[in-house]
Amino acid sequence: MAATTPNGASSPADYDLLPKLAPHLDRHMIFPLLEFAQGQLIDEDESITDEKKAREITEAKFALLKKTDMTDYVASLYCELKGLKEPPIEYAERKQKVFSQLEKFEQETGKITELLEREDVVNNLRSDKVANLEFLKKDHDVTIEMVNALYEHGNLQYSCGSYGDASELLYRFRVLSTDNDKVSYATWGRLACEILTTSWEMALEELQKVRELIDTKLQNNPLAQLQHRTSLVHWALFPLFNYDKAREPILELFFSAPFINTIQTNCPWILRYLTVAVITNRGRAKNVGIQQKQMKDIVRIVKQEAYEYQDPITKFVHALCIDFDFEEAQSQLVVAEEVLRSDFFLVAHADDFVDSARHLIFESYCKIHARISLKDLSARLGLNADDAEKWIVNLIRDTRLDAKIDYKEGTVVMNHPPSSVYQQVIERTKGGFFRTQVLNAAVAR
Amino acid sequence: MSRFFRGGDDSSSESSSDEEDLSLSEEETTTKDQQSEDESSDDFDDDEDESEESSDDDDGDKPKGLSRFLLDQDSSESEEEDVEATTKVKSAKDKRHDELEATITGIQNGQKINDWHLIANEFDKLNRQVVKLQDGGKAPKSYIKCLVQLEDFMNETIAKQKVTPKKMNATNARGLNAVKQKIKKNNKDYQEQIDAYRKDSDAFMESDEEEVPVPKKVAKPKFEAFTAADEDEDASGFETVGKGGKALQFTPESIFKHLRTILESRGKKNTDRQEQISIMEKLFKVAETPYQKIRVLMTLVSARFDLGSGGASSMPLEHWKSAEKELGVLLHILEVAKDHIVIEGAEEWEDDERAPTLEEGQKYIKIPGSIVSYIERLDDELTRSLQAIDPHTSEYIERLTDEGSLYNIIFQGQLYYEALQKDASLEVPQESLNRIIQRRLDHVYYKPAQVVKILEENSWKQVSSSLDSKITPRSQSEEAIQLINTLCSYLFENSEGIIRARAMLCQIYFLALHDEYYKARDMMLTSHLQENIANFDITSQILYNRTLVQVGLCAFRKGLVYDAQNTLQEICGSGRQKELLAQGVMIQRFHQVTPEQERLEKQRQLPFHMHINLELLECVYLTCSMLLEIPLLAQTGSSPDVKKRVISKTYRRMLEYHERQIFTGPPENTRDHVMQASKALAAGEWKKATHFIHSIKIWDLMPSTESIKTMLAKQIQEEGLRTYLFTYAPFYDTLAVETLSGMFELDSRKVSAVVSKMISHEELAAALDQVTETVIFRKGVELSRLQSLALTLSDKASALIETNERTLEHRTQGSANAFSRKDGRGGGQRGGGRGGGRGGARTGGGPPRQAGGTQFTGGALGAAVRG
Repeated sequence: MAATTPNGASSPADYDLLPKLAPHLDRHMIFPLLEFAQGQLIDEDESITDEKKAREITEAKFALLKKTDMTDYVASLYCELKGLKEPPIEYAERKQKVFSQLEKFEQETGKITELLEREDVVNNLRSDKVANLEFLKKDHDVTIEMVNALYEHGNLQYSCGSYGDASELLYRFRVLSTDNDKVSYATWGRLACEILTTSWEMALEELQKVRELIDTKLQNNPLAQLQHRTSLVHWALFPLFNYDKAREPILELFFSAPFINTIQTNCPWILRYLTVAVITNRGRAKNVGIQQKQMKDIVRIVKQEAYEYQDPITKFVHALCIDFDFEEAQSQLVVAEEVLRSDFFLVAHADDFVDSARHLIFESYCKIHARISLKDLSARLGLNADDAEKWIVNLIRDTRLDAKIDYKEGTVVMNHPPSSVYQQVIERTKGGFFRTQVLNAAVAR
Repeated sequence: MSRFFRGGDDSSSESSSDEEDLSLSEEETTTKDQQSEDESSDDFDDDEDESEESSDDDDGDKPKGLSRFLLDQDSSESEEEDVEATTKVKSAKDKRHDELEATITGIQNGQKINDWHLIANEFDKLNRQVVKLQDGGKAPKSYIKCLVQLEDFMNETIAKQKVTPKKMNATNARGLNAVKQKIKKNNKDYQEQIDAYRKDSDAFMESDEEEVPVPKKVAKPKFEAFTAADEDEDASGFETVGKGGKALQFTPESIFKHLRTILESRGKKNTDRQEQISIMEKLFKVAETPYQKIRVLMTLVSARFDLGSGGASSMPLEHWKSAEKELGVLLHILEVAKDHIVIEGAEEWEDDERAPTLEEGQKYIKIPGSIVSYIERLDDELTRSLQAIDPHTSEYIERLTDEGSLYNIIFQGQLYYEALQKDASLEVPQESLNRIIQRRLDHVYYKPAQVVKILEENSWKQVSSSLDSKITPRSQSEEAIQLINTLCSYLFENSEGIIRARAMLCQIYFLALHDEYYKARDMMLTSHLQENIANFDITSQILYNRTLVQVGLCAFRKGLVYDAQNTLQEICGSGRQKELLAQGVMIQRFHQVTPEQERLEKQRQLPFHMHINLELLECVYLTCSMLLEIPLLAQTGSSPDVKKRVISKTYRRMLEYHERQIFTGPPENTRDHVMQASKALAAGEWKKATHFIHSIKIWDLMPSTESIKTMLAKQIQEEGLRTYLFTYAPFYDTLAVETLSGMFELDSRKVSAVVSKMISHEELAAALDQVTETVIFRKGVELSRLQSLALTLSDKASALIETNERTLEHRTQGSANAFSRKDGRGGGQRGGGRGGGRGGARTGGGPPRQAGGTQFTGGALGAAVRG
């Protein structure tokens, strides 16, 4: 895809969120984003369209990873940047150093790792951490230093890019350590590892743990809470868009009061992801009620935050659900699609989103209109007349729309039955009896 | 609006006033005002006391204008005040002498029967009387004699008391104690005479009055440090000054002596302050060292402030100007002579003979005093004089120009304190710097950026280019927004309580003034001030109200009618804008205000140049209310729950009043314009409405008038369309979008958007036909009277259940949360019921809200209904 679109004003590059996302992500997590950005520059015929930009990205990558211990890769990046064949000697030195350190930790943690793999030891462990440590100390001479070495080792492994090992080490550390601060760091570390090794199930678990940590440990420090939540929201984007089962719990997490507040105050750009997630979630969600509520919430928030954050996706929602300007919504959808295709997280969901968005447009269109011309509709949906008809028939079948196609006239006729007053009265009073009963029971107690 | 002012804002009385006519409800509000007034003055009294105390500490003894009336309370003090009052009216004096004698006899009688209660009473009386009889600082001889006798007797009694086991009765003992203490205190003042008497009682009694050159008594225990040697000089100094100061030589050496005398005579009656000031001016001319200059200037400035301290009158203009100049000079001297500092809580230098010198190991010569208090006083005096001047005269404008120089002084003061703070060893309290920065902020927050810029430029010009401020660096003071931001963030970090809240409000005000609506609103919300503003003092509450109004106006300029109306509602809906914004005193028709309250109220008033234009405010508020209310009125139409939703009571009342008029002439004032526009809008004549609104002259006061008018026109078009649809929907089957767009001169796309919105929100029972581009109205949705009553009844029933539940929840809150756990199943149902109820109430027709419907989980009944 070309880097710039003809109508320069709404180029998807303008909506690139990378600079905004980066501060809240870990070094290692930014890397895939940069890779993706570089990938975007490569044309279909495998030629790089924008040399300058590509170089910039390589530089960014180098700067990003300089501080990590992935020496080989950094060295090769350096070579690429400077046009050298052989990496300078310092990298070899550093590599050596890292290796020696790794070995050192390997030794230090060797014993405890071995212990934890022995069945008889593991069986003796209880849920009480202090007692566990006591037990290990007494029976197997495990010192607190050894436990901490696990943590350091895990850290180094992570820095080297071997996330699986790091995750394992941190897990063991967490089982044994009683140091609250370090445990919470280890939890964050594990979450990062799981995300980077794309083991989403585990990531979800860790996510939940981190969330609890934030809620309980940082209760007295609202600012830190806010910052941690912001990071968590950003990190959660990885599972959100890569693992289908993660979608509902994470959406629920995002819509919980503290997190939605965090998003609104600290990182409104997350609204894009949230919007896409909610819109694409329609039809998939088991509970239609929740989906509808989320949709309503997102509309409300988009409206509230319109002064702070706008991009084609939120503009689409705004046009459709607040202004009821269908033409505007349509045109925003086109831009939104482009933006989606150039976004690391959303690229896989672009088609899905467009499809769902169309549904959404049509649904609210039908709600308002009594008669729609088929021809007009097909043009609007970007389909030919036959396809449009099929599409509508499917739609009528899926959603409980009360509509008929008048073939002769070439129109869709909607039927909006007025709700009867009697029904309204019944609706309003039906809870009364039960509630009074409950009330009565409560009073009697 | 502050919670505090809300005192009488009772909903029950409001609703009753709803039905009564306009004047009657005003009656009510005024009485309510009165109640809140009472509270307010109480609060304010406390503050006043405090400030008085603090200022006492700062500039020594203030003249007690009131003490004349409070003789019995602090008689000992007023005694000295009357030292120089040697009015010799023979007959009156004799009479007093007689009274005195009578009292003395009373005391003697008391002594005879050993009744200390009586003695204590008589003694108080005696002291009161003797004040009037003092002769050149000399008390009557009989008085002295009595004192001596009484003291002796008292000592005797106490001695007796110790040996005899028998106790005195309670009243007597109390009286004895009181007398003992009073005598101790009192006798100090007359020590000399008493001594003389004791030495030779007869000679004393007979000695001639003129003969004894009684040195002036030293009044306060503070000054007790004076030794006899000093007194002589004092006395002579006093005499010369008293005779006009002509013979006096002003030499650098004598400066401190003069200052001392002046200081002592401060706060006493019949001191000629003018005279003193002129002496000090001369003294300043001869002063040589920085120390002398500083001392003279400080005394001079405080003497000038004394001139204006009587009651409500402000200090004379020329003195203000000189005080301002002298403060400038003082700050300049302090800036040049770095080893001299004026600081609160420094020790007083007692030796008049020589000036303090820099001793080994000392970095500074410290002079006690408070620059910040001087500056604050100067500021207050300017405000007071501005309050007193008629704002429509050129005098006011002239006076206002002084604000520039005042700002310079404040600015220099800030620099001075910053310099002091650099030296950590001085331990300058943060508070002083906060106060001065707050003052600076007070002078800029309500001004447009350009004005602030000029102010800033001028003040930077005043100080030498080498100086720079750490808090507000020269480079950052160019932009007003930045300046305000730095000042406020400094206060956020370094202060707390009221100053912090005020800083926040000032920043919000400034942001709102400069059209930064969202920033201002967000700050307002995050500050959480609306919850605790009632705990602050009244001036802060006024600032809060001002800020609120400014935010509302800002929202209006942005075209956010709904937000503007909401924000302004609290202030403008109360009908007491004047009072809430301190821009005028309410006329109390049915309740008397004590002069004291009135005075306080007057003191709080803002000077005219800080006012927010009330007429403009009203105009904005009414226009916003019109844009919201007219469609609402049209929507609710004749359904039985019309009274349910009222956005602005004030507006409704005015509209009703206007409608009752038999003959309506052409509009004269803003209110008429808005009312007639409302009528036109309700009838669908949007053009007429726009014309009425546009012909309001006061829009010219808004920046970018044209864009506001266009915005209003647009809003009127849209709301007109909505009103039209609401009003005339029952009479149409279909309505072409084209027609509507022609009628309201709106884009057909815009028209369909508006219609779509209404349909989607279930405000309109209609649907669009895309093929023919028409709006099709659904029939049979109008309810019969019985049906709508049934709906209302069901609403009320569910409201009742809800209230019951809430009450129970409230009562069981402390104990186990059993109730809410028990009805976990019912919870969902409740939520659903509520949602449905609300949806229905608003729409009065149309299908029930989907969300409400889907949330029903419980009961076969629910499923049956959903079908």
